Amino acid sequence: MSSHVPSVSRPSSWPSSIVFVGIALVLAALPLAAGAGNYFLGLLISALILAGISLAWALLGNLGGMVSFGHAAFFGVGSYASALLSAKLGLPVLLSVPLAGVIAVGASLLMIPALRLSGPYFALAILAYSQIFRILATELSWLTGGAAGFQAIPQLPTVLGLDLASRSGSYVLLVVVVALCALVYALVRRSLVGTALRAIADSEDATRVVGVNSMLLKAWMLALSAFITGVFGALNAHIIGFLEPDYAFSGVWSVLPIIAAIFGGYRTTFGPIGGAVIIYLFDQVVAKSIIAVGHQILLGFLLAAMILLAPNGLLGLAERFLKGRRDAEA
Amino acid sequence: MLKLEGVTVRFGGLTALRDVSFSLAEGEILGLVGPNGAGKTTLFNTISGLIQPQGRILLKGVDVNRLPLHKRARAGIGRTFQIPQPMHHLTVRENLVVAQAFGAGRHDPGRIDEILSFMELARQAERNAATELALQELKRLEIAKALAIEPKLLLLDEVLAGLESQAKRQFMLKLKELHSHFGLTIVIVEHDIETIMNLCTRAVVLNFGQLIANGTPEEVFRDPAVIESYTGAAHA
Repeated sequence: MSSHVPSVSRPSSWPSSIVFVGIALVLAALPLAAGAGNYFLGLLISALILAGISLAWALLGNLGGMVSFGHAAFFGVGSYASALLSAKLGLPVLLSVPLAGVIAVGASLLMIPALRLSGPYFALAILAYSQIFRILATELSWLTGGAAGFQAIPQLPTVLGLDLASRSGSYVLLVVVVALCALVYALVRRSLVGTALRAIADSEDATRVVGVNSMLLKAWMLALSAFITGVFGALNAHIIGFLEPDYAFSGVWSVLPIIAAIFGGYRTTFGPIGGAVIIYLFDQVVAKSIIAVGHQILLGFLLAAMILLAPNGLLGLAERFLKGRRDAEA
Repeated sequence: MLKLEGVTVRFGGLTALRDVSFSLAEGEILGLVGPNGAGKTTLFNTISGLIQPQGRILLKGVDVNRLPLHKRARAGIGRTFQIPQPMHHLTVRENLVVAQAFGAGRHDPGRIDEILSFMELARQAERNAATELALQELKRLEIAKALAIEPKLLLLDEVLAGLESQAKRQFMLKLKELHSHFGLTIVIVEHDIETIMNLCTRAVVLNFGQLIANGTPEEVFRDPAVIESYTGAAHA
């Protein structure tokens, strides 16, 4: 990152993190062990796609303080990039997916001038920017199929006997990719660069006067966030097998991750993942059964209640509860 | 150590600093004084890199005026803010670790402990810097952060403001100790004439963005132009 900055081992709480990861993996394995049906696995796959984008969004929001309303751009670029690389150039899907992440990073570079902005100005700039790619995907119909959509996207392959295109295979793949992204996020957050980035969010001048190149660090976070989002866009494209601009660049990919990350606790590593799974399952299973049309209104109520009762999200609430118990025991 | 040549800052139609020039030798403690709105903090902002002025700012003979803020810190210019600006979401120790790593380019926990102890912040080291410190502790943290970058030049912006007289006297002694212990060159913005007389080897006076006096504190505070700038009337 910067040769000026020495690598520093940070004080850590690895044992509690390992317990957390262990619990998360056991929870992730439960649906397979319980023999969940394709419908439920399909819901979990969509929830994990959302979890990946939420994690990427929270990374940018927590480390650097950049509130993005434009992650749909990285998601859409990743979707189309991987679909085109594999379908038109014949690249193996498992190669086109990370390459799609790299192409999403390329797209994010166009946003670097906006890093000088902060708060609502940055949010508006990235919102406007995300629309450019939706228009491009529609207009470049010779490449993308335009508004008619792009079909015949290659499916995920079979690896070590596991058919990744099957529901259970896709589910396992997504659990692994989400876990890897969470690990990367946790490592960055614990690093010295991550420590400086946490400070940049609310006190940028205070960090710059002690030698922190805030623009560079924020640019790295934007690139990492775009990469992760692009990868999940790519995986989603190969799972659903069809793309059209209004779907791939839909505002849903910008808004839902924000709701999920805030609901779960965007300042934590696992909050956005837990938030995404709960929000998505609540919306699809509970809210839809109560209000078939316009069920998203219940999501709004749920988020409003969470912000009012626990502004630090679900994980913040859990930490407060555990701390209260520890204090009571002491 | 520091030389300013024709430093001018304009904000639209307002000239905040007009052709300010002076120099500062290594090891000096310079008092920067003047009425409210004279341009003292603006001058600090230009030296530390928050504002890029016209003119030249030479640090040990090297023009640093085109260097961005973070590179000024790495060049050895440390500063505090009038209203303390701790790094949010971090502990006191993490504030210093970040400052040392990015500003001085190294990781030396022993040095961090030394600074914490010197600035009497060792007991508060694991507290949240933004939410769990009193004003006096925040002011000490401001200086501690600046020390962590291992500066050659330290800019102190009204670090004594808001302290009651006993605390002010103790803090002044701490600043003298800091000057000798770390071998620093210091510029301090201060309103209190007694403090300047006790602490500084030299004083520079600004009024309406212009330098109106430069000399020993005794000379400066006898200068009719300085007295007029403070009282608004010519000295009888």
